[in-house]
Amino acid sequence: MKDYSSPVYAVRRKLRPFKGFLYLLPSIIILCVFTIYPLIKTFMMSFMEDYNLVKGTYTAINLENYKELFTDATFLAALKNTGIYVIFVVPISVVLSLIIAVFINDVVRGKAIFQTLYFLPYVTSVIAIGLVWRWMFNSNYGLINSILNVFGIESIGWLNEIKYAMPALIIFSVWKSLAFNILIFLSGLQTIPQDIYRAARVDSTPKMRVFFKLTVPQMKPIIVYAFMMGFISAFKVYNEVYSLFGGTRAGPANSAITVVYYIYSKFYNSYRYGIAAAAAVVLFVIIFVFTMIERYVTRDRDKVKSK
Amino acid sequence: MKMKRILCVLLSAMMFLSVFTACGSTSSDDDSSGTTTPTADQIIDSADIEACEIVFWHAMSNKQEEALTAITDEFNATNEWGITVTLVNQGAYTDLSTKLTASAASDTLPDLSQAYNNYVTSYIDKLVHLDAYVERDYDEMDYEDILESYRDENSEFGFISGMPFNKSTYLYFYNKTLFDQLGLSAPETWDDLITIGQTFQSELGMVSLGYDDLAGLIEATLLQNGAEYISEDGAEFDTEEGLEAITYLMDLYNNGYARLVGEDLYFSGPLGNCLVGAYVGSSTGVTYITMNEGYELGVSTLPGNTTKAANTAGTNVMMFTTDLNKQAAAWEYLKFLTNTENTVYWAMQTGYMPIRTSGFESDEYQEYMASSEAAQACYAQQDAYFSSLNFDGSYDVRNDIGSKFEELVLAGADGQTALDELVVLVNGILQ
Repeated sequence: MKDYSSPVYAVRRKLRPFKGFLYLLPSIIILCVFTIYPLIKTFMMSFMEDYNLVKGTYTAINLENYKELFTDATFLAALKNTGIYVIFVVPISVVLSLIIAVFINDVVRGKAIFQTLYFLPYVTSVIAIGLVWRWMFNSNYGLINSILNVFGIESIGWLNEIKYAMPALIIFSVWKSLAFNILIFLSGLQTIPQDIYRAARVDSTPKMRVFFKLTVPQMKPIIVYAFMMGFISAFKVYNEVYSLFGGTRAGPANSAITVVYYIYSKFYNSYRYGIAAAAAVVLFVIIFVFTMIERYVTRDRDKVKSK
Repeated sequence: MKMKRILCVLLSAMMFLSVFTACGSTSSDDDSSGTTTPTADQIIDSADIEACEIVFWHAMSNKQEEALTAITDEFNATNEWGITVTLVNQGAYTDLSTKLTASAASDTLPDLSQAYNNYVTSYIDKLVHLDAYVERDYDEMDYEDILESYRDENSEFGFISGMPFNKSTYLYFYNKTLFDQLGLSAPETWDDLITIGQTFQSELGMVSLGYDDLAGLIEATLLQNGAEYISEDGAEFDTEEGLEAITYLMDLYNNGYARLVGEDLYFSGPLGNCLVGAYVGSSTGVTYITMNEGYELGVSTLPGNTTKAANTAGTNVMMFTTDLNKQAAAWEYLKFLTNTENTVYWAMQTGYMPIRTSGFESDEYQEYMASSEAAQACYAQQDAYFSSLNFDGSYDVRNDIGSKFEELVLAGADGQTALDELVVLVNGILQ
């Protein structure tokens, strides 16, 4: 017979709540080192004036970095460009990929081939894609200008002129982000029960009506998800800018600079660690607010559903 | 209950953080075994060096890496101390700079590394002062054999911070066939550049000139007109000479004699494809130019105005190890790498320049130079070399002034407007 009243068991009982914690320890350590610590450190750095990463020194703790940030025309331009980028790229990409996904889903033969084709951009390196698009945008030899010329439109200096830099970036990014969205939409389409489509066919409902009245409502959670992921990654755009403009600068006269590009160049090119951290915090706040709003929107829907 | 758990996680997170920060702060001042400022009494005699491994970070690729490897292999095989130098390729310059910054922060810098002076401004105190070594091993003749501008560059921090290594200068590359057809010759002065611009425009409807590096262009143009560029106090070019220089530059662009590089990134492509008549860029760029069939490449010195001024580029090799034995060993390697024989070998293999006058004057290099127009041009403008000064904010200016200038060119600004805006930009950064 075990004597559960012995002190050993009393200690065990007391320690029991901590056992779970012990199992979690490895992941907590990893999370702390690679996620929480950098996060806290960034917040702290953003308040340190003239912070030197190497020596760990700073002259004062204040809001100087933020003050400088919001008077820096380059940062304001970066904010504006990031806003424009998000507003254009995400909706265009989601709508286009939904349409493409529906078409692919309707294809009877060679569905796998189309699926692979459209998914290729996702698995290809952004740098390689950027190289190709740089050629397509080339003002002298580019494919895009050749097509425009066929329709009697004069060649455009896509990558040379300030006013075309953002449009070029948006076109490139929409194309690039199609792949991921098409993938999730295709898998979403496959989960829609087929009987409602059959019913629609019996009623000989027009295709457009089927799309708007059946497909879109059924896909709503996935569309919301695509928007959310799209917004978050669009706010953090960097690779696309880097690869499209050749890595030396963010477009003509830095006209397509984005917030992350700004952070990177302040940190690694100018060694202005405090400024870079402050910009990162601003971006963090923007994304945080955005995510909260979207959380709120989707939470309501879930509640309705569970009722 | 939920709140309690979150609190628990946060508290344990704090605990780990404090452990980490505690480790971080003790390890840095633990390092009392060595020094970055060895005195003549401290440095180890070359006879007493013990065998060791020296890690050397670099950013050289292709032919350049092959040549560096060849020199290093020879050192490893022949040195009397059993020193092994291990080369570590860190990718492109920007990668190297990034990794150096990161390793400076975590106190894991390599023993030796290639670096531009502006990489290290935030961790100058981690550089080994080479003064004691130079004094011991080089007599005046030996050290002054190294080109003056390189010596100046390597002592701008107030001590000898490195040895010059892969050095290049900016040259004027032109389409010789087209120049001959138009009856033009390589430009000597600013006026010549304008004449060439007009001729190309009226005869061929072509842009005659491009500049790879706009920040370098602005600095060189100001100096060529006897104006100054920047100092720690801000812009120094808000003068009559400065205005003249900037106006001349803006006119080149506004009249269509010069164009921006834009999507081409470097002008070596457009020159080869006959899209520009000429361009100014790094002397090592010569290996990237492929002229279209039937066209010949010409290379010349940079044109000047009241005086000549030619940008130099390329890194120095700096030392970071605090271990005195390793320092002495790395120093032996540095001497070997930069001696006359090896600097000549290096230059002939890569298109960089010898860093020593004796290298330029050696029979071997003279022979090579006779067949290389680029090498001749490098040598011919030796007296006009300058290198940009580095201080707090100078790298920011370098980064921002190029894109500001691009913006001004795209807007078609006149000289006075351009000057004013550039002054505001520079002062905004430095003051």
